[in-house]
Amino acid sequence: MMAKDVLDIKAESAQMDTDKMWIIMGPQHPFSHGLWTLKIQVDGEIVKDAEPIVGYLHRGWEKEAEARPYPKIIPMADRLCYAASMTYTHLFCMTVEKALDIDIPEKAKYIRIVADEICRIQSHLMWLAAVGTDLGNLTLFLWGMREREFFMDLNVRLCGARMTTNYTRIGGVRNDTTELFDRDVMRCVERFEKVLWDLIALVDDSSIFVSRMKGVGNLTREQTVNLGITGPAMRGAGVDFDIRRDDPYDNYDKIDFDVPVMTQGDSYSRYQVRIEEMFQSCKIIRQAVKKINALGKNAPYRLKVPSNVPAGRSTARLEDPRGESLMYLISDGTDKPYRLKVRSPIFTNVSAAKPLVQGSRIADVPVIMAMIDMCLGETDR
Amino acid sequence: MVYSSILNWVQFPDVMSNMYYPFNVYNLPYDISYKLWELLGGTIAWLINLLVPGNPVSTWLVCDEVVNMFALIIFMIVIFLVVFIGTLISLWEERKVLGRLMDRRGTMIGMKGFLQCVADGFKTFMKENTMPKKVDKMTYMWTLALVIGTSVLIACMIPLSQRWFVVDYNTGLLIIMALFALAPFFILVSGWGQNNKYSLIGGMRAAELMISYEVPMLIMIATTALMAGSFNIGDIVNAQFDSTWYFIPQIVGFITFFFCATAESERPPFDIAEAETELVEGWQTEYAGMKWGLIMLADYFRGYVACAMVTIMYLGGWLLPWDPLQINTYLPEITFLIKTWFVFFMMIILRGAIARVRPDQILNIGWKVFMPLSVINLAIVLMLKIGGVY
Amino acid sequence: MVMEFLKKYPYDKNIPRRTLWIMKPIVVVSKLFVKAVVHRDVAILYPYEDLWMPDNYRGRPGLRFDKCISCGICVRMCPTSCIELVEVLDDSGNTVKRPQVNIGRCAFCGYCAEYCPVNAMTVTPEKELAEYTREDLIYGPRRLACDKINENMEVHLEETLMSDIKNGNSERRVNSFMIDRPILDSSKCISCRKCEKVCPVKAIKMIEHGVNAKGRPILWPEVNKDTCVCCHNCVDDCPKSALHMDEVL
Repeated sequence: MMAKDVLDIKAESAQMDTDKMWIIMGPQHPFSHGLWTLKIQVDGEIVKDAEPIVGYLHRGWEKEAEARPYPKIIPMADRLCYAASMTYTHLFCMTVEKALDIDIPEKAKYIRIVADEICRIQSHLMWLAAVGTDLGNLTLFLWGMREREFFMDLNVRLCGARMTTNYTRIGGVRNDTTELFDRDVMRCVERFEKVLWDLIALVDDSSIFVSRMKGVGNLTREQTVNLGITGPAMRGAGVDFDIRRDDPYDNYDKIDFDVPVMTQGDSYSRYQVRIEEMFQSCKIIRQAVKKINALGKNAPYRLKVPSNVPAGRSTARLEDPRGESLMYLISDGTDKPYRLKVRSPIFTNVSAAKPLVQGSRIADVPVIMAMIDMCLGETDR
Repeated sequence: MVYSSILNWVQFPDVMSNMYYPFNVYNLPYDISYKLWELLGGTIAWLINLLVPGNPVSTWLVCDEVVNMFALIIFMIVIFLVVFIGTLISLWEERKVLGRLMDRRGTMIGMKGFLQCVADGFKTFMKENTMPKKVDKMTYMWTLALVIGTSVLIACMIPLSQRWFVVDYNTGLLIIMALFALAPFFILVSGWGQNNKYSLIGGMRAAELMISYEVPMLIMIATTALMAGSFNIGDIVNAQFDSTWYFIPQIVGFITFFFCATAESERPPFDIAEAETELVEGWQTEYAGMKWGLIMLADYFRGYVACAMVTIMYLGGWLLPWDPLQINTYLPEITFLIKTWFVFFMMIILRGAIARVRPDQILNIGWKVFMPLSVINLAIVLMLKIGGVY
Repeated sequence: MVMEFLKKYPYDKNIPRRTLWIMKPIVVVSKLFVKAVVHRDVAILYPYEDLWMPDNYRGRPGLRFDKCISCGICVRMCPTSCIELVEVLDDSGNTVKRPQVNIGRCAFCGYCAEYCPVNAMTVTPEKELAEYTREDLIYGPRRLACDKINENMEVHLEETLMSDIKNGNSERRVNSFMIDRPILDSSKCISCRKCEKVCPVKAIKMIEHGVNAKGRPILWPEVNKDTCVCCHNCVDDCPKSALHMDEVL
């Protein structure tokens, strides 16, 4: 076959599809939760091709991290994914603890589990609110945000801040659970388990919502694995893997919980996986709080760690609310990292936009992309 | 004639004794505007007469023919103002009710939030009037004017009671429906004329939505007219007063018409033409400032007209069946407005609870669900009529 | 264990027949509407009411003017470099150095409060901080200090040593200000006395250790272990890097 000139290829394709147009669901668009562009090529109402463009929020995070000593990187890690900040600081601290080769106290591990699961519930509630706006129902949006407020108040009781919590430290957590937190955590979780059924009734009992989500955005199991999609999007397509259960970190192996997996692979099954994960998080919080109370008030929760990390390479990975996130650290014996790399789950998930969206209608595109749960802070770093 | 005091100019004769009275029966807004002109014109005539005694302009201002002419002009303003304030109240009602069912307050400033709506409208009117360069100018301006014009026209033409009407015609319901159904064509042309992909898609969606929902609506209007015996709105209301409100025998028709009316006025859940999260504003993308404000207002006018049609056809119009306080003779207009706002309240709850329907699903529902239901409704009414019940 | 939600709403369940298409959402929404009208909705009417925040809420930093020893740890630990030590007059007319915070840059992370050895910097629950110009956002020491600071607003840094856990003494809580002390590498010291000048608590005394070849006294610093707060000033400012911090683990 002869090599074709670029201009020839363009001329050919321009002659062939004269009735398709590119719609740029651009950076200024009410549906994108964050700042990114999705270009779709449309033939009538069916989507033929798609191209996501990210990078508008790039802040040079990894380069900035090379100039700071390790404790100062923790507030930066908060702002990687601002909607789910506890998990990224947890991940960073786990990476450095692996490089230092120390084992943190039991109480710190259980407190980190509670904080992680609160963060997971709060992040999934924000996702549910975004699904509401994408489908035109503002009631679900406001109810989801109302529930999220209760969990952010739990964050305030624990460490003083609602979103960017700056709570985990290298060697443990910043402070013990306060009295207000102990009083309020079970009240909040028990109330939430009742009220979540109301929010579900708005979505799952309404045949309009369900018929808009069923059967769109189909991916088979092999496609999901090949594209590298992780998290609830992967478990909705039949891949039974959850880092908390299969590669446990920080005492998750001592907690008993289920991992929901659905085999159908469309948007509705991804939605169901996330809702069930919220219920399982409530279960995990209950068990972890009992174990914390059993350890007592005087158990240690923070270790003193050296400020120079010995030279070497270390990796840690964690089950983010959106997928599998990973950090890779190359340290050189000083108190600043040599290289710190973050693997964000959404960056990989959003690159699967084309196979997800191909063949569906324009009206389905927001629904499909809402199930991926974008948070641009960690995509662009 | 000797005119010495203002009372000579400002008399208040019986309005129907005027030779040129344009209506057949007593018409309340015309009466109000007649008396307003008597006041206004009489005062002006008296003032001019003070300066220049015995001049012909003053006598011209208060003679029979001219009083009728000016009364008609004020009559237009009175009718429009009442409808406008009624629509503003339904806009305020939407914001408050939607707020409360989302667990928040609605608008709060100014008379429990009513003046906020007025202030919002005022703000949009103060914005810059832009015209993008590449649009088709005539289409851009004319289609907009026609959409808004027809919406305001039918809103003004709905009679609020036996004595509050603009024209008392024998095919009232049909004319309202005809004007209501003109808008999708203008929306389609407007969407094309804006030279923007989003508007084009929005315009096409609006046209296909409205055309497929007009068929069940027309069948149900014919059904109601069959049951009442004529298309005249007054006759339909009186027929419901004599028997029962029509939503009881035509319960299927009531629900179907309610949904078709929601779809025709482009309210959520059927608002694909202006779906915010998919196509930024649909066919209204390129309209900014005052034009967009007028489009929003026209939207609420159409919502008001849809609710008024539901009230007339199914909820008994402006008459109450059990009337201890004599409201039927003194204030039927308030009854009609309250019933209209109640139907709008049901539309708001529907908006709060339900997601947006996809265009192909809307067409499916329109043709495969609502049209058979309206035919079933027609069959039920036919059987009731033949059986002699109604 | 049973997953309740998936049992109640399985994937293939025929929803229209069970709920009449859309009746259940309408019922749920109407119930909340009635509750919000009869009782109260959750909205807080902001300028007239405000959310209650507990005392440990991380609003802007606060300063207890008289407790501060101007050691500069808050300056060193701030991730956005928004704190500077400036000279002000204290209550008795002496010139002292106190921190000045640029709230426009502050990330509200709480590190200044956490790493303050005497708990002079605290967090405060003040969150209404809007100003009209950027210069107004730079809070001088007196402005940082004027509010009601109480003990709940202090952030305590309590760590456990790994050696303590090994010895079974895991309930002892220390922090680096009490434990880490600087250690001198005497071959590098040139007796410039800079460390004595920068120490904020005057914990360094220069002790004579003989005479050098030119006849000048050799002075080496000695740190008073009880008053040192481990502020790293001497370690950072030594021109020959003769001092380094000994971390006890």
